[in-house]
Amino acid sequence: MAVPLVSVPEFGLRSTHSQAISVSATIEEEPSASQEFNVFQVYQRILENEEIATPLAAILALTELLDHSRAGTMFELVKELNGGAEVLKTRTSNSISLNAGCELFIAFVTLFPHESDSFSELKTELVKQGQQYAKEALTYRHKIAELALGFIKDDSVILTHSYSRVVIQALLLAHKQKRISVYVTEARPRGFGVKTYEILTAAGIPCAMVLDSAVAYVMDTVDFVLVGSEAVVESGGLINAVGSNQMAIIAKAANKPFYALAESYKFHRLFPLSQYDLPTHHPDILSFPKPAHRSSPALTARPSVHPSIAGHVSTATEELPTWKSGLLVKSPFQMSMTPEQISRNPSVDYTRPDLISLVFSDVGILTPEGVSQYLVGMFAG
Amino acid sequence: MTKAERRELQERQRAEKASGKTGSAAPSTPAAKKGRRGSLAEGLSTPGSAQKGKETKEGVSGAVGGGGGEDAGKARGLRIFSHFGLPKPITSHKGEIHPAIVRLGLQFSEFKITGANARCIATLTAFKSVIQDYVTPPNNTLSRHLMTHLSPQISYLVAARPMSVTMGNAIRQLKLEISGTDIDLPEQDAKDALCDKIDNYIRDRIIIADQVIQDTAGKKIKDGDVILTYARSSVVEKVLLQAHSDGKKFSVIVVDSRPMLEGKNLLHTLSSHSIPTTYLLLPSLPSIITEATTILLGAHSLHSNGAVYSRAGTAMVAMLGKEYRVPVVVCCETYKFSESVGVDGFSKNELAPINKFSTPPHSKSPQSLLSASTNENPYLEILNPLYDLTPPTSITAVVTEVGVIPPNSISSIPLALGRNMI
Repeated sequence: MAVPLVSVPEFGLRSTHSQAISVSATIEEEPSASQEFNVFQVYQRILENEEIATPLAAILALTELLDHSRAGTMFELVKELNGGAEVLKTRTSNSISLNAGCELFIAFVTLFPHESDSFSELKTELVKQGQQYAKEALTYRHKIAELALGFIKDDSVILTHSYSRVVIQALLLAHKQKRISVYVTEARPRGFGVKTYEILTAAGIPCAMVLDSAVAYVMDTVDFVLVGSEAVVESGGLINAVGSNQMAIIAKAANKPFYALAESYKFHRLFPLSQYDLPTHHPDILSFPKPAHRSSPALTARPSVHPSIAGHVSTATEELPTWKSGLLVKSPFQMSMTPEQISRNPSVDYTRPDLISLVFSDVGILTPEGVSQYLVGMFAG
Repeated sequence: MTKAERRELQERQRAEKASGKTGSAAPSTPAAKKGRRGSLAEGLSTPGSAQKGKETKEGVSGAVGGGGGEDAGKARGLRIFSHFGLPKPITSHKGEIHPAIVRLGLQFSEFKITGANARCIATLTAFKSVIQDYVTPPNNTLSRHLMTHLSPQISYLVAARPMSVTMGNAIRQLKLEISGTDIDLPEQDAKDALCDKIDNYIRDRIIIADQVIQDTAGKKIKDGDVILTYARSSVVEKVLLQAHSDGKKFSVIVVDSRPMLEGKNLLHTLSSHSIPTTYLLLPSLPSIITEATTILLGAHSLHSNGAVYSRAGTAMVAMLGKEYRVPVVVCCETYKFSESVGVDGFSKNELAPINKFSTPPHSKSPQSLLSASTNENPYLEILNPLYDLTPPTSITAVVTEVGVIPPNSISSIPLALGRNMI
């Protein structure tokens, strides 16, 4: 029977607060797609491997679902896969890159030539293909790093944003052959920039932390910007940790190239028209507090920083994951946002294609237009 | 001899030549008479008959040269726009014209049927009855002869109004189907098969495509949005109605412009479905553009470089949208794709017949610029290009039945779909 999962461990890597809350709310009533097999648990287990990105984990989880599936026909199988993808989507906070993986795999399964003798054979073949793809996909980062190497001159100063495995790999590879120095942004609120900083410094790359608000200050000394991506969308634009968009705008204003690195499984058939058209956007993000009625003396009910800040901070340190505590508890009077205020902020943003110089991927170095043409070809065929 | 004089002479000689050729040019149109009186104004032309020009030794300047004015009501127009399609008077045609085509031609030329989709569907439907009434002459095969039977019908339609890109694409597909018809097939079976093919084309490329576009574009409409649209596009109308019936709360701004004022139809449809709608004319667009969250536009056709060929005024709306950072979304079925590259709305366009649209709906003043112009004022030319070209840079996305794509990737669509033909 479907056992509702009550205590799902907080999905740390890519979750923001508001979404984590909404996730735990939906868990109770939502039944899992296949009875014994819990695709979400598998997905989380796979994600524990540091090397595996979200879309890839989704592909692997669906492959495992396929393996456990008792579907007798292709139609049932695809239905089950779609169900599994739906479960993953509703349970995770930020479904964009996960969706890319799911869509890729389901498209692959539906388009796979039915040449096997029996359906079970076809299924094992599909599972094999899925696992093989995932294995192959792990080499993509190295491929991309090598492509990017040609664009990194000796003695370059590179600006990067937040934490991206493919960017780090590219930088480490470049470090072996060339002298590079790197600016890393802090990337509030998750602060993954610190992680990047530590890895790069440990490898001996001269590295400096930059406040997100100091990107414009540092831009003039930078040779180019190198960012990873959560997803590359059909317009040729980029979805990445919040702050990438402003970085791209500043880079454009300073006439510095803005390069994005993306494995091809992050290519996603999605066309956001603006920031507010992203699937992660919901009306709560950056909403103004509901205006109190004029007649009622409820003006004090508005969240004003000063009277309540001490209380918020004390609760914050208990609730927040470890990455936050270092930032928040320096002094009780420090002016910082409350967790609730942070949760009203977006976790990803969308960078328009005209701000991006090139996208490096395992299928080659593409212009943003090239990305969209590739995507059209990939899903139309 | 000054430059102007030399040009004058040249023009005169050219006009003489032309008049010699046509011979029967009406010598006494009102415009021509007026022109003689107007000879005081030096360097200006009469668009009237060339014979008169010769007699009065009147100046004909190149800049405002009359476009061979046999008939002041119809064939007027600036010479530089003479290459634009203008409805020609329907003259006798070789071959028999099917009554369905005659009726359709009249509906086209009277602008009773407008819009790329409607014209394409009407044409294909008329062709179905033409095909059904067709009898292969002895010693001929349907696959070889039917097209020669259809050609005069097509040219009859083209004479009524220049062919739309959609009709061109559909006819090309039909030709392909006809030539591929098995010669051993009994005639009635072959005709039925062709009619089925036509039905399928209408269903797959237009009706179903529209439904997919409705769904896809509908997802881009969210609660609280203000959708701005220009004139009337059947697809945009369907998208808006669908989004409304899906329970989305949004309002619409319909921007419209003379001479056709097609937006009124859309306004009527939307308000009868109780969608809050604002109606305004193109000149007032800049003051309201900041209110809009998305601009939804229709298209007549889509060039392979991503430029959108659409109702005159669309380019202005799109450019203003880009300027104010409002996403510009064009809804367009893939069968509207044109293989050509469009650079401006000047190299290819169509002129609206002047007498059809130039009178303002409530012109009270008898000295009204426009009402006086067509017949009396020889110094005034009225130009009503029906279309313009929106450059791909001012378009955010194109919604087609194969997905949402950026305009500069349009050319890869037919390739990706494995079609070598649109």
